[in-house]
Amino acid sequence: MSAAIIFGLLAVLMLTGMPVSIALGLTVLTFLFTMTQVPVEAVALKLFTGIEKFEIMAIPFFILAGNFLTHGGVAKRMIRFATTMVGHWAGGLGLAAVFSCALFAAVSGSSPATVVAIGSILLPAMVRQGFPTRFGVGTIASSGGLGILIPPSIVMVMYCVATSGMLVEGPTGERVSAASVGQMFVAGVIPGLLLAFLLGFTTWFIAKQNGYPRLEKASWAEAFKAFLDSFWGLALIIIVMGGIYTGLFTPTEAAAMSAVYAFVISVFVYRDMGLKDVPKVLLSSANMSAMLLYIITNAILFSFLMTHENIPQAIAAWIVDQGLGWIGFLMIVNILLLLAGTVMEPSSITLIMAPILFPVAAKLGIDPVHFGIMIIVNMEIGMITPPVGLNLYVASGISKMGLTETSIAVLPWLITMLAFLMLITYVPEITLFLPRYLGML
Amino acid sequence: MLLRLLDRLEEIIITTLIAAATILIFVAVVQRYGLSNSAQWMGWARTNDLPWLAAIFRSIFVTLNSFSMTWAQEACIYMFVWMAKFGAAYGVRTGIHVGVDILLNALPARTRYGMVILGLLAGALFTAIIGALGTQFVYHIGQTEQTSPDLEMPMWIVYLAVPLGSFLMCFRFLQVAWSFARTGELPSHDHGHVEGISEADEPLATEPNLHPRDLKPTGGEK
Repeated sequence: MSAAIIFGLLAVLMLTGMPVSIALGLTVLTFLFTMTQVPVEAVALKLFTGIEKFEIMAIPFFILAGNFLTHGGVAKRMIRFATTMVGHWAGGLGLAAVFSCALFAAVSGSSPATVVAIGSILLPAMVRQGFPTRFGVGTIASSGGLGILIPPSIVMVMYCVATSGMLVEGPTGERVSAASVGQMFVAGVIPGLLLAFLLGFTTWFIAKQNGYPRLEKASWAEAFKAFLDSFWGLALIIIVMGGIYTGLFTPTEAAAMSAVYAFVISVFVYRDMGLKDVPKVLLSSANMSAMLLYIITNAILFSFLMTHENIPQAIAAWIVDQGLGWIGFLMIVNILLLLAGTVMEPSSITLIMAPILFPVAAKLGIDPVHFGIMIIVNMEIGMITPPVGLNLYVASGISKMGLTETSIAVLPWLITMLAFLMLITYVPEITLFLPRYLGML
Repeated sequence: MLLRLLDRLEEIIITTLIAAATILIFVAVVQRYGLSNSAQWMGWARTNDLPWLAAIFRSIFVTLNSFSMTWAQEACIYMFVWMAKFGAAYGVRTGIHVGVDILLNALPARTRYGMVILGLLAGALFTAIIGALGTQFVYHIGQTEQTSPDLEMPMWIVYLAVPLGSFLMCFRFLQVAWSFARTGELPSHDHGHVEGISEADEPLATEPNLHPRDLKPTGGEK
């Protein structure tokens, strides 16, 4: 009963168009003052201590690093390198777009940022070369989604934050601990590479069918030069992933290191950015981070209320009673997340849904890391499905193409991604192999 | 004039905090590794009978060891909490807070007007309540001797961010509501735009449905 009221209230408040964070907060307050015995002090304390976790602080650092990389000419050099590597195959620049999105995704944690960084340079170039705009938009909007699947990823941090510290039980009643940021990052590597390959294959296939232009094969000398030029950006991949894997840094420290590193290469090595631009980058990063942290604060309040009312446990028990099994449950989760993905943005969905769904998943014996990666893939698809899909808006903004046309343009890649989602959902080994192999699980 | 000062102050606070936190964590990590590495190298130089090298590493070790960075993590968290609270208020002014506006933007202008005002006032209400709760909470903590574990800073100072930030945010919501009521314009943040990357300042072809649209007849093109 109380579950219905909470969700109903949240849905109504969100539909009025007020910020998601405010809708969450007001739901909690309304419920608190009218229906429950939770002491207000407990909630006030949660409000203060909710975001006092060092893990969460990876988010502002990754945003800052991403902003430096986007402004500082790292993307430009990665594109040049990618083009010399794959530009001569069918699909030419399109294939290069997928490859550069994958490279940029490995240094940045956000999808729209990846679309902007790669798309704003490559899309005009593709159109000039004679590719149909549709093809270009489809490639870039969909490959940009790699940003949150290939580590580092802000949404993965969100998932860990949302589920960490929850008391959940496995199928036989044993404690199941939530996934750590390090585990999620490592688990994202193989699915990320696989998706990059599948998107590249789709691009190649369409291009081959239609005989789109290719580039001349770059000489090894050119390729090597492009590699050297982009080396400083590529080195960041090793710093972040190597640092986390070897235990040199915690994910948050790695994020801070990459922010400083990105600052140094943008301002002093590549010099695409002057010192005078730094405050602007800092301010816009702080602005974005504060918005996300504010949603997190209120989402933590919300999930505290849910847990207090035993709602996730009740849902878990109910689903187990239905005899749905993990196959049916994951199908329902996918549908639910895809639907949510059409109208909301990834961080809010993850923060609201993960704490509710995670106990059920654990009860059905689904690995927290596998479940997390599945959520991330759903979020990626959500970013290219209308009416609300951040990547679509960004791509349509760069290409000046209408939203409807953009949505149609991504269809072939969308189908590829849906097939990929099925693969990730029902073959947990793809996700779990690497972290297990490295002894992280 | 006073308002402009407040605006600037808000921007300076959050910019400084994010920069300081980043540098702090960077220095802490460098110090940690400098310390363990210099100790190792010192041992290596000694076993290989290179006293001058050992002396160099010894002095590096001593310098690095002379200050402790164990408080860095805690300080970083508090800086970001402060940044988050003031940044959220700044975010109201820049219109960065995302919402579900799909229904809202489909409504006729008149109804939409009411809904937007309602949304903004709801924001003001929520932040005012949190501000009041926060003030009470800080007052209670202030009566105790609670300090933070590493920095040994009084906790009420740390928690002061919540009431201050919330009241500032409340003020920003009212400010935006007031200017919307007069001009029909809302601040909106374009999530797809990155300065210096997109060509010049051309308008987006479409607007994300994450923020309420303006009420001007040319809604959608800015």
